Amino acid sequence: MGKGVIGFINYWYFRYLLVTELYMVEKWERVMFHIVILLLLSLLSLFNTTVILGLVSWVTQMIFFQSSFPETAPSQAIHGEL
Amino acid sequence: MQGCLTVSRESQSTNKKFAFVKCGRMRPQILSIEARMEEGAGDAVTELLSGVDFENTKHQKVISNGYGPYSGGYANGYTCINKRNGYRGSEQNGHVLASSDEECTAKNMKGPIKNGYVKTTLKEPLKTRILKESFEPPTLLTAALTHISFYILMFLGYLSQALFPPKIVKEKNRDGYLPLFDRFASFYSRYVYRRIRDCWNYPICSVPGNEVVLKDRVTNDNGWTFEFTGSKTKCLNLASYNYLGFAENSGPCAEFAIDAIYKYGVTTGGTRQQYGTCDLHVELEKLTAEFLGVEDAITFGMGFATNALNIPTLLSPGCLVISDEKNHASLILGIRLPGATVKVFKHNDVKHLEQILRESIYKGQPSQEGYKPWKKILIVVEGVYSMEGTIVRLPEIIALKKKYKAYLYLDEAHSIGAMGKHGRGIVDYFGCDPKDIDILMGTFTKSFGSAGGYIAGTKELIDFLRKNSFASKYAWAMAPPVAAQIIAVLKILMGRDGTNEGQKRIETLARNTRYFRRRIEQMGIIIHGNEDSPVVPILVYLYSKIAAMVRTLIKEKIATVGVGYPATPLMEGRIRICLSAAHTKEQLDYALAVIEKVADEIGLKYSRKPIDPTPIDYDKIKVYVD
Repeated sequence: MGKGVIGFINYWYFRYLLVTELYMVEKWERVMFHIVILLLLSLLSLFNTTVILGLVSWVTQMIFFQSSFPETAPSQAIHGEL
Repeated sequence: MQGCLTVSRESQSTNKKFAFVKCGRMRPQILSIEARMEEGAGDAVTELLSGVDFENTKHQKVISNGYGPYSGGYANGYTCINKRNGYRGSEQNGHVLASSDEECTAKNMKGPIKNGYVKTTLKEPLKTRILKESFEPPTLLTAALTHISFYILMFLGYLSQALFPPKIVKEKNRDGYLPLFDRFASFYSRYVYRRIRDCWNYPICSVPGNEVVLKDRVTNDNGWTFEFTGSKTKCLNLASYNYLGFAENSGPCAEFAIDAIYKYGVTTGGTRQQYGTCDLHVELEKLTAEFLGVEDAITFGMGFATNALNIPTLLSPGCLVISDEKNHASLILGIRLPGATVKVFKHNDVKHLEQILRESIYKGQPSQEGYKPWKKILIVVEGVYSMEGTIVRLPEIIALKKKYKAYLYLDEAHSIGAMGKHGRGIVDYFGCDPKDIDILMGTFTKSFGSAGGYIAGTKELIDFLRKNSFASKYAWAMAPPVAAQIIAVLKILMGRDGTNEGQKRIETLARNTRYFRRRIEQMGIIIHGNEDSPVVPILVYLYSKIAAMVRTLIKEKIATVGVGYPATPLMEGRIRICLSAAHTKEQLDYALAVIEKVADEIGLKYSRKPIDPTPIDYDKIKVYVD
């Protein structure tokens, strides 16, 4: 199953390729698929950190600090509170 | 009661006279079946039909582990099958009207008209055979991952096709013409199959006995083209249908075949009906019929054509064919050609078969004017299913066939020679009477190490086929050396050569099969099928795993066959291993060690079944002991 850290990583990368059927496709397809997946994941995390997190902090402020309702916009609230 | 519901629905229709007649005629019959099933005659039938859960333990010992054969979970179906053919029945059988009309039957196949049931009483004690079949379904996670990865593969394939269209002639939409090629099929072969094409179609350059020599090749353009390197690899052969190990280039069979070339030449140069018949053919047919225990047999030079060209001879529009869903392509082609109505029952599911039989007999032919019975009903099954490794439930199907007066077509392509105490196929395995099966078909391609196929049955049936079959009219007769090889093998199997070589081979195959299957199950790998079937499909599910496994095994000098769509369902890729009497225990042990290593490496141990860790002693495995 491979020796050392490099071997371990290589082996599990091979297993990952097997279960995603990327083992049998050509190299450019594999690379492109990984780029697309990474792109999708980074877009998702960007969306999470900006929109979702902003909304969550805005809603928590609304619930717990109703007396002091934030005057600033949600995006600024992130920088202010977190 | 589907049948009665249909009656009441139709009696409301405008054609009241018909409905009345139909009610009057049919309802008592259906009820009488029900009544019979519940009372006396049903005694044996319900035993036969209900699979695991029957309670009549008077004659039988039921071993059940709590899982039905197909009841989900890891079904490990221990099923008792009644070895006695047929069952008690009353002669008041209403099915004559509904099943096969005498006129047509008499015209086409005079033989088994009177194959209705006979009043018999229980004379001999009932024997049982325990069928141990396993069908472990994948876990939900495996199934979900397989689906997702399949979509990834399809997405990349279509993208690749769109970005880099293949340099081939394209078929434009021509007005008034249907496209010649199926679009998905051509996409699939270019963008799924092509990627791992190096795992198939290996050129070989030796006899495919227990070892085979592969011609090495490389591809520099991802499977579009191949180049030979000039080197060769000798591999252990787990891929050939060489069940009894008769694929040899030396020994009595080979010598007899060579002698036949000197005496008769390589071909007789004609069809059977013209000048193609020589005394070897006559001898072969006689021997085949004797071997199988039937009246007569006819042989053909091609196994696929035996199915594809003879079934159309026996059927016509207005007949009903009930076919198993896992039947081979040759059977399916043969069934489709004559234009008969086809219904498909679930793989090896006798209850579903009976349900279809009842419904179709009750409804009759699809027609506008009144009730029209079927001309013939033919049940088409295989002995051993080559992709599943399962064995047909023959005694139950024979009982059904007798009950509903249908004909039975049994394709013994993979079972003849390989199964049964005397190598006479599934009929021998269950100890049934070969005369209960109307049409016995088989091939000489597998166990006999030769080519061609046969059909065996009553004299009338075979004479009819001799006269009318396309394969007998237009196809060239079997080559004499090919026929000679089969004759030599048949003589060995029947013990006419003065040795017990045939019996030894049959037992070795059975022992190898059980040993290999048990060892593989101990490893925690999912395999399908019956414990006695020499076809062992190892489930790997993914295309990549098929490719990775075949490639690694060839590196380790083991040749196997990967099977994917269209031979199996889309998500159920498998590695199929065919065992042979030619394999020694050492070879099997080597193969098992390598398979275990590869299974660990690429993750094949999907099984969730409890594993019995007791080591298996090859020499102590019991085969064919009653």
